Amino acid sequence: MKILVIEDNVELLQDIKNFLEREGNVCEIAPDYKTAYMKVGIFPYDILVVDITLPDGNGLDIIKETKKENIDVGIIIISAKNALGDKVYGLEIGADDYLTKPFYLPELNARINALYRRKVYKGSKEIVFNEIRIKPEKHEVFVNGRPMTLTKKEFDIIHFFVANKNRLLTKEAIAEHLWGDYIEMADSFKFIYTHLANLRKKIAELGGKDYIKSIYRVGYKFTDWE
Amino acid sequence: MKLLTKTHKYYLVFLVALAPVMIVVDYYLIRYMVNIEVNEILKHESERIKFQLEKEGELPHSSYMFDSTPVDETSTPFSQFNDTLIFETYADKLIPYRTYEFTALVGTERLKISLRHILLEMNELILGLFAATTLILMLLATGLFFISQKISEWAWKPFFRNLSKLKNYDITQKKQVHLEASGISEFEALNQVATALMNQVERDFQNLKEFNENISHEMQTPLAIIRNKMVLLLESQSLGEKELQWVQAAYQEANKLSKIGKALNLISRIENREFPRLDSVDVRAIIDNIISKMEEIIKFKDLKMAAKLNAARVKCDPILADILFTNLIKNAVQHNREGGYIRLLLNEEKFELENTGEVLQKETAQLFNRFQRGNTATDSFGLGLAISQKICELYGFRLGYEHHEGKHKLSLFFNS
Repeated sequence: MKILVIEDNVELLQDIKNFLEREGNVCEIAPDYKTAYMKVGIFPYDILVVDITLPDGNGLDIIKETKKENIDVGIIIISAKNALGDKVYGLEIGADDYLTKPFYLPELNARINALYRRKVYKGSKEIVFNEIRIKPEKHEVFVNGRPMTLTKKEFDIIHFFVANKNRLLTKEAIAEHLWGDYIEMADSFKFIYTHLANLRKKIAELGGKDYIKSIYRVGYKFTDWE
Repeated sequence: MKLLTKTHKYYLVFLVALAPVMIVVDYYLIRYMVNIEVNEILKHESERIKFQLEKEGELPHSSYMFDSTPVDETSTPFSQFNDTLIFETYADKLIPYRTYEFTALVGTERLKISLRHILLEMNELILGLFAATTLILMLLATGLFFISQKISEWAWKPFFRNLSKLKNYDITQKKQVHLEASGISEFEALNQVATALMNQVERDFQNLKEFNENISHEMQTPLAIIRNKMVLLLESQSLGEKELQWVQAAYQEANKLSKIGKALNLISRIENREFPRLDSVDVRAIIDNIISKMEEIIKFKDLKMAAKLNAARVKCDPILADILFTNLIKNAVQHNREGGYIRLLLNEEKFELENTGEVLQKETAQLFNRFQRGNTATDSFGLGLAISQKICELYGFRLGYEHHEGKHKLSLFFNS
């Protein structure tokens, strides 16, 4: 998919660009309002990632512009302000999602994928990873064609893992994706461990391989690389 | 005490203290005046009698004279006033008289002549005068009292109007307060000071707000970059075990920093009153929702949950209500021991939360301060309770906390 990231911090912009391109996306960048405005007007994008605070303008105006020009594009706001007013207003004028800085890149990636699936495939697209097949909109997972019985959290984990395959997912990123603010980190790490143990067992029962690799106590990687 | 009441109280005290003194002085003054008057009459009469004696050699008729007795010629001449009571048979009682005795020569004979003047009417006169002056005095005092009260009220009116304006002043509402001009220089000076103060406070408030906004923005973006780079480092194959440990530690601290930043930002936003909504929030629904979100972790920690939730509505901002109850319940879950319990009780007056946990070392008051942790084992930042405290302050809720040998009880009273 083709993504435009509008963010005034060039370093963060590069991080996002590198991350998203490794997933096989085409990612363009705009460090200011002027560039963003020009690019949105000329090139078609699937997804816009918009920072609200820009040196020469407001990201919200770009969203308004796309709506005015009837440009069909998925929009995710990224903002450091964490002000609820901005969030509500952003979603009101047509943004699809909102992420507060500092966010985890896998989280952004998962949201972009989910949004893309919703917009382009109307949610019907399956995600396939070797013998594992996920139907996101139905919350169903198949291993070797056989359905898995999963709890909601187990589904969320495997979905998050497959969406960010071959990437290091830190425990913090996983915990925030699963529970947001409702759980303390110390509790969540043990919790993640238990969930993953169950998940491994369930995949193995259906003849699936163990793709969940533990990485130096910091996190996990879902990968078929050796 | 109100200023007017206070000044009037002193007026009254002064009046009450002074009135008897004035009345007594008044009484004696009038009596003294009357006596002088009577003395003058008697003296005048004696002059007339003496004059007549000298001129005609015999005692003239005088209605004041009641006695004349010859005295020894050698006795020295004298004259004196006296108050005396004389029994009058016609009235069958003692009647007060003022007498004047003097000696005079009739030919060669020396006579002691006594004049008298009845004091009966005089006494009544004294009483009458006394009553009249007292009445006038009282009327004057009360009249002045009420007039001064009215004048005070009228003169202080602009002051009280401005006072109520200042009372309603809310810095988060960007409304300018226009103080009324009164034409009284003291009040004008006060207005000027108040206006200057408000302007200063508004400027500071604005600066602080901008500073907070900036710092949260400026801090979070670099933190995001730091975190991204650290994940890249952790992913790279070129680091040894030791280096990876270092990076991991730094990564965790960066995460903590980000959380601290978010929490402090929230606290300052609560302090700045940036949550102006006052909805009638259904607390039971909020708590039910939080419990359902935490169900998993509660089960995971094998906690026994007993919730007795009655319907309760509280006036506050729904976002803050959610943050408050999430923090409190999360705290009870996090600091619990495996296999412990949580008991929740909600009604119109209070929300009570009882749970098992470790024995705390800290004092209750310290517990609510920023960054104060109950124990150092876990990675809570102690900010949860500080945020809860701030929200409670905002709405006038009261947080009570007690613990006894591993049992903790937190009570939140909605009407303090």
